[in-house]
Amino acid sequence: MSVLAIGRTKPRTRTVSRQARKRRWIGLLYLSPALLLYGAIVLVPLLQTVNYSFYKWDGVSEPSWVGLQNYLEFGRDPRMYAAFGHVLVLILMFGLIPLGLGLISAALLSRAKIRGEGIYRWFLFLPQVLTSVVVAIIWKRIYAPDGPLNGLLRGVGLGHLTRNWLGDFTWALPSLGMIGVWGGFGFTMVLFLAGILAIPDELYEAARLDGSTRWQEFRLITLPSLRGQMAIALTLTITGALRTFDLVYITTQGGPGTATTTPALLLYQLAFVNPDVGRASATGVVLAVLCLGIAVGITRIMENKDR
Amino acid sequence: MISRFERVSNYVIVIALTVGVLFPVGWFVLTSLSPNTSGALDFSNIAWSNFTAAWRDGNLAHSMYASLVITVSAVIGQTILAILSGYAFGILGVVGERYLFPIILLGMMVSTEVIVIPLYYEFQRIGLTNSWLGLVIIQLGMGVPFGTYWMRATFRALPRSVMDSAAVDGASVWSTLWRILVPMARPAVLTLVLLSFMWTWNDFFLSLIFLGDPEKQTATVALGAFQGRHVLQVNLMAAGSLIVSLPVVALYLFFQREFISGVMAGAVKE
Repeated sequence: MSVLAIGRTKPRTRTVSRQARKRRWIGLLYLSPALLLYGAIVLVPLLQTVNYSFYKWDGVSEPSWVGLQNYLEFGRDPRMYAAFGHVLVLILMFGLIPLGLGLISAALLSRAKIRGEGIYRWFLFLPQVLTSVVVAIIWKRIYAPDGPLNGLLRGVGLGHLTRNWLGDFTWALPSLGMIGVWGGFGFTMVLFLAGILAIPDELYEAARLDGSTRWQEFRLITLPSLRGQMAIALTLTITGALRTFDLVYITTQGGPGTATTTPALLLYQLAFVNPDVGRASATGVVLAVLCLGIAVGITRIMENKDR
Repeated sequence: MISRFERVSNYVIVIALTVGVLFPVGWFVLTSLSPNTSGALDFSNIAWSNFTAAWRDGNLAHSMYASLVITVSAVIGQTILAILSGYAFGILGVVGERYLFPIILLGMMVSTEVIVIPLYYEFQRIGLTNSWLGLVIIQLGMGVPFGTYWMRATFRALPRSVMDSAAVDGASVWSTLWRILVPMARPAVLTLVLLSFMWTWNDFFLSLIFLGDPEKQTATVALGAFQGRHVLQVNLMAAGSLIVSLPVVALYLFFQREFISGVMAGAVKE
C-alpha cells in the first residue's frame, strides 16, 4: 500500500484526506508499543504516587487513608527542612558556581582558535560521561583523612587545615558541593563555548571598531547571546542538585548526623528502608513539583528577557 | 585579530582548567596501579594484578555480565521503540497527536524518584523485582520520551522528496521506514544508541532499588558495595572503578562528538 502519496490534483482531495486519516491510524499503531510501555511505567505510577501520598502505609499491612496528613507532617518535619536546606547549598555549588566559572572562562577564551580543541573538550566533558558511582568513589578517596587533599595541604605547610572532610559537620556539605562544581564546570564551559562560536564575527569586529573594551564586548554581545545556553545549564544543574542521590549514598549516607541528607535520600529511606510509603510519596510529589516549577520558571525568565 | 599575549594566555587558561578537571581522575588511574593498599604511588612496582584482584573480589564478572545483558537489551528495545514512535509522530501523523505528543514530552520532566515507589511495590507484587527483565522494562518505559522526541525531530528533518519517491515506488509503510528512512537517519540513531547505553550502564538508583539480590546486581551497585567493604584497599577500589567505567569511557573515546552533541540536545529537550 502506498500511503505516503500526497495528492496534488483537486478531484482526489477527498480520497487523499481519507488516506491521510487512515495513515494517522497506522501512525497510532506504530506508536502503540511505546505508548503502552510509557503509560504503564511512567504515567500510571505518577498518578499512583499522588494517590499513595494520601495514605499511611508501611509497605506490608493494609494502607489507611489519612488525607493531607503526610503533607502537613512534611511541613513540620525538621529532617525535611534540613534536607531541602542542604539542597539550597548544593544548588549554589552545582548550579551557580559552574555557571559563573563557565562564563568567565568562555569569555576569556571567546573567539580564540585553540589547537587541540578536541582533546581538551574530551577531558572537560569526561565527568559527564563517568558513572556517578565512580565519581563518588574518586572524591571519597580524595577527601579521606589520609587522602591526597590532606596530603597536599600538609605538603604546602597548611597541615593545620587537614581534616576528615566528609566526616566533618561543617565541611561535609561544601565538600560534596565541590564535586558538583568539578563535574558541572566542564559541561557549562563546553556549552558556552559552542554558543559563542555561533555568534557572528561581525558583531565583535564592529564592537572593536567602535573601540569597546573586552568587558563591554562581553556584557553587550556575549552574555545576551548565551541566554539559551544559560537556561539549559541552570535547569540541568539545579534539578540535578535537587535530585542528588548517588553521590550522597556512596560518600556519606547523609552523615555525619544529618549534615548531608537530601530529599532523594530521605525518599529512598522512607520508601524502602523503614517504609513509610505515604510520606515517601509526598516527598516525591513535592520534589517533582519543584523540579517542574524550576524548569518552567527558568525557561520563562530567559525567554522574557529576549523580548 | 588576537595578540600574541592573548594567544598564550588562552592556552594557559585552557591547560590549567583541563588539568584541574583531569587531576582527580588521573590520580585515581595512578592509584589503581599502586602495589600499596594505602594507594601510595610507587612507579617502580606497577601492579597490574590489582585489576584481576578487583575483578575477582568485587564479583565483577557476574555483575558486569548483568550490566551488559540489561544495557544491551534496553538499548535495542529503546532504539526500536524510538524509531517506531518517531516515525509515527514525525512522518505518519497520529490520531490525537495534539494531546499525545505533549503527554509523552511531559515524561522528560518526570524524575525517576516520583515514579519509583509505586513501581517497586507493583513489580514486587507481580514478581518482577530482583529480575533483569523487570529492570529492562522500566528502562524501556522511561526511555520513551527522549527517544520519541529525538527520532521525531530526526525524521522531520529529512527531505520530503524522499518520502514522495518512496511513495511513487509503491513502498509500503513498513519498508519505507526500514529501507529508506532509518538508513538515512543513521547518525542520529547512533547518537541515540550511545546515549541510551550510557544512561543504562551508569544507572545506580534503579538497580539499587530493583535488584537487591547480590546475585542479580549490576556493576554499579556491586562496585558501591565493594567500596564499602574495601575501604582499606584503595588500589583495588580504584582498579574496580576503572573496570566498571571502562565500557562507556571507551565508547566516549571513539564517539566524542556524538556524546557531546547528544547530551547537549538531550539538555535542550523542548
